[in-house]
Amino acid sequence: MGSRVEILNDGGYRSDGRRQFELRDITINLAQQGQADGSAVITHGLTQVLVSVFGPREAKMRSQTIHDRANINVEVNVAAFSTGERRKRSRGDKRILEIGSTIKSTFEPVVQTTLYPRSQIDVYITVLQQDGGLLQACINGTTLALTNAGIPMADFVCAVTGGVHSTSALLDLTTLEENDVPHVTVAMMPKTGKVALVTMETRLHVERFEEIFRLAGEAGKVLHKEMKKAVMGRTSTLVNAMGSRGSGVDRDGDEQMNEL
Amino acid sequence: MSTTSLSKAEKSYIAAGLTQSTPHRADGRNLTDYRSVALEAGVAPLANGSVRLSIGRNINDNGGGTEVLAATKLEVESISIGESSEGREGGRFIVNVSCSPAAYPHLTQNALDDLQHDLTTILHTTLTHPSLHPQNLTILPHKKSWLLHLDLLILSDAGNTLDALFLAARAALWDTKVPRTRSVEYKAPRGSNKANAGANTTVEGGDIDVDSTAPSGFDTRTQISRATDFELPDYWDEGEALDGRDRWPVCVTLNLAPPVHFLDATPQEESAIPLRLLLIFSFTSTSKGEATLQAMRSLGAGELSLVQIKDLIQTGEKYAHSLYTALNAKLKDEDIRRTQKARERFIAARR
Amino acid sequence: MISFSSFPATREYAEFSGPHHPYDPSDDVEMEIDEDYLDTNGSKLTYPGESLTSSQAYMRGHGTYVDNEEVIASVAGTIERVNKLVTVRAIRSRYNPEVGDLVVGRITEVQPRRWKVDANSRQDAVLMLSSVNLPGGVQRRKLESDELQMRNFFEEGDLLVAEVQAFFADGAMSLHTRSLRYGKLRNGQLVTVPPILVRRLKSHFIALPCGVDLILGLNGYIWVSKHVKEAEQEGEEGFDAEGVYSNINDNIDEITRTAISRVTNIVRILASHFIPLTDTLLIEAYDWTVDQEGGAKDLLSEDLSDALVTSLAFRV
Repeated sequence: MGSRVEILNDGGYRSDGRRQFELRDITINLAQQGQADGSAVITHGLTQVLVSVFGPREAKMRSQTIHDRANINVEVNVAAFSTGERRKRSRGDKRILEIGSTIKSTFEPVVQTTLYPRSQIDVYITVLQQDGGLLQACINGTTLALTNAGIPMADFVCAVTGGVHSTSALLDLTTLEENDVPHVTVAMMPKTGKVALVTMETRLHVERFEEIFRLAGEAGKVLHKEMKKAVMGRTSTLVNAMGSRGSGVDRDGDEQMNEL
Repeated sequence: MSTTSLSKAEKSYIAAGLTQSTPHRADGRNLTDYRSVALEAGVAPLANGSVRLSIGRNINDNGGGTEVLAATKLEVESISIGESSEGREGGRFIVNVSCSPAAYPHLTQNALDDLQHDLTTILHTTLTHPSLHPQNLTILPHKKSWLLHLDLLILSDAGNTLDALFLAARAALWDTKVPRTRSVEYKAPRGSNKANAGANTTVEGGDIDVDSTAPSGFDTRTQISRATDFELPDYWDEGEALDGRDRWPVCVTLNLAPPVHFLDATPQEESAIPLRLLLIFSFTSTSKGEATLQAMRSLGAGELSLVQIKDLIQTGEKYAHSLYTALNAKLKDEDIRRTQKARERFIAARR
Repeated sequence: MISFSSFPATREYAEFSGPHHPYDPSDDVEMEIDEDYLDTNGSKLTYPGESLTSSQAYMRGHGTYVDNEEVIASVAGTIERVNKLVTVRAIRSRYNPEVGDLVVGRITEVQPRRWKVDANSRQDAVLMLSSVNLPGGVQRRKLESDELQMRNFFEEGDLLVAEVQAFFADGAMSLHTRSLRYGKLRNGQLVTVPPILVRRLKSHFIALPCGVDLILGLNGYIWVSKHVKEAEQEGEEGFDAEGVYSNINDNIDEITRTAISRVTNIVRILASHFIPLTDTLLIEAYDWTVDQEGGAKDLLSEDLSDALVTSLAFRV
């Protein structure tokens, strides 16, 4: 499929003015939304996703409980006005269910669910705007929201998309680029470098794959920096607010921890 | 709108507070006070019009509050007499409400779908009434028209969702710009094989070129507009405002605890006082007191006498008028703010 | 009647990254505890995945896990070291119950011989029929008719104050109301705050001088009500079911109602600024608002709430 816009021009610039390995602007908002236990709004360029986490809490349906750990439930809701062309997706849309179950299986080994038997953790994702990198934004947003909710995790999960245009590798693709170029989404855990998820739906030559895979992993570390900054910023603000009015005796007093 | 669980003692505390000699509400507000309402237009750049509205949101940490996102989108539709196309002369308008599960963490999927359906019905039937239909949704008469979609998304619910939905709907529709189109006719010039595009006069409502000979009533060929297609003269121009922006209605929910009633209920108040009267009024901006009651609905268990309803409609109209005036002022402010912001950005980019 | 405002500009936690992130190996940051992230009290902050210390020297506590001979944080929060134990306390989480805690809960279900109570925790708590006071005397035996009439005591939606007695094997709390101070709640309204903001105090029953009582549940549910006189609380010989399990409120006059609204608004303001709740603080805040001579609803405005918080920071 030809495109009227050049994906990568001779000067090394992409259609939105970025360089090959440049990531889009990121904004992270960790302020509380509604009644959620933890929430995050993350923007990668023009893709904007809101994630709300409830839990761990009593499961709504007893049939969904697991006796020795918590059940993670992910629901994705794509707003009809999120794309250039309005499209209403029903909740049972296969594509959306697939994204939801992909995210669930990405986080199941990362979240320490064994601490909460018979409980449920609900992750509600609302896609407000889409311009490529949807799964990436959802995963990053979920990581932030879970951290915000105080749910213990082994590490952050940072995701980014990577693609190849003829022989040049590209990172963090927009819709225009995703439609034109084979691409893969990689989610990695920065501390160990382990990969939590790799998914690809286009056809990519095996020789190109290795490079893209490696690059995306590195880019995840860059994302981790930003996410860490946001999380620490919020933690520090809240701790200062709490501390300013005399924490005093009680904080240390009740720290005779009962080991589980 | 879903009932929060409340104990009998809590409910009677709220009800008793309202019916004593000087009525009293849980957070100290007056019976007709709304919580703080925040509004921002133009939040979805890919849409033709959009707005984000929240009632009662906690100023400091952003939590709580009823929050609604609304966006309009225009699509081109073909009209033809046959059943295959859905387009209709004068354009179509469809309203849709969806609820984020994050707003109703205790509801099951089915209950959520039911709630969505109810809200969609209320909004759709009220707003798509022919008396409110915008006049500038035609592109090419009998051929092409705009399909206007209004999508509302409830992100969080802290009571009074219907007022919020209607306020957001009105604001989003006010903010909607219809792209300007120009109809285009293709004429093969005599003796030449090339097709030329010749533009008619700029069409925005489907004017037919009238300087041709008066068409015969039996000859349907000449009555069909010569325009066969349209183009956007300026790709980046947002367009003109959607017609009838003054007519879009506002909704006032009167929560009834006889002998008093109150506005902008919190979830606890909604649970304690289930009987509600929804009044949806439309005003024309010119006249001060001329209102049309577009829709009315009573919700919840309880009885209302005809006399009561008449009184409530009268009082409701006054409330709706204040709401309308305040909202208009805010929307105009928003217009100014955004033009200013665009101007600043333009100047900054030029430097 | 109604006033429109704008959304606040970008919130504090919104981060703007620079226009480019070139892939650069030198960008890989060493995982260290950054000096920037010491809060004012000097305790260090951490995030999930950060390595804290060696597991040879320290034992791991809540909020951490061990991997590869290292103790690693699993939540974002403050690091606490007590002797050889390292724990991380999350800055915001659901209520973590402990035996002896006072909680305010809402009945969600009535089951055979027990009630399920929502206590803002990871699982609903359980209140056994044998753990409540039955009418007719504190020591009375449980009868079969009691089992069939459980809704005469507590039904779905009721609010109660109870103490955590023990834990079940899966971690669910077991509550009891076997004290005359515990039981069904009436004559007031509920406010919810993040559980971390409720400190463990000597007494969670606070009586404010304005005739308003507060019960600070450690699970973040706070009950604000009309003052109950001490004498009434003691109760007489025969335990009066009419009194304790009744759903009927007393007559509450307007002054008390206004005071209750004021206190509720104050609690909300403190919670939104993430300030921990203590009795002294609440009394100070109440006195300040009364001095302002505004109505209870004026506390809902941003200016007044900011002024309140600032004034509290300067006192004491």
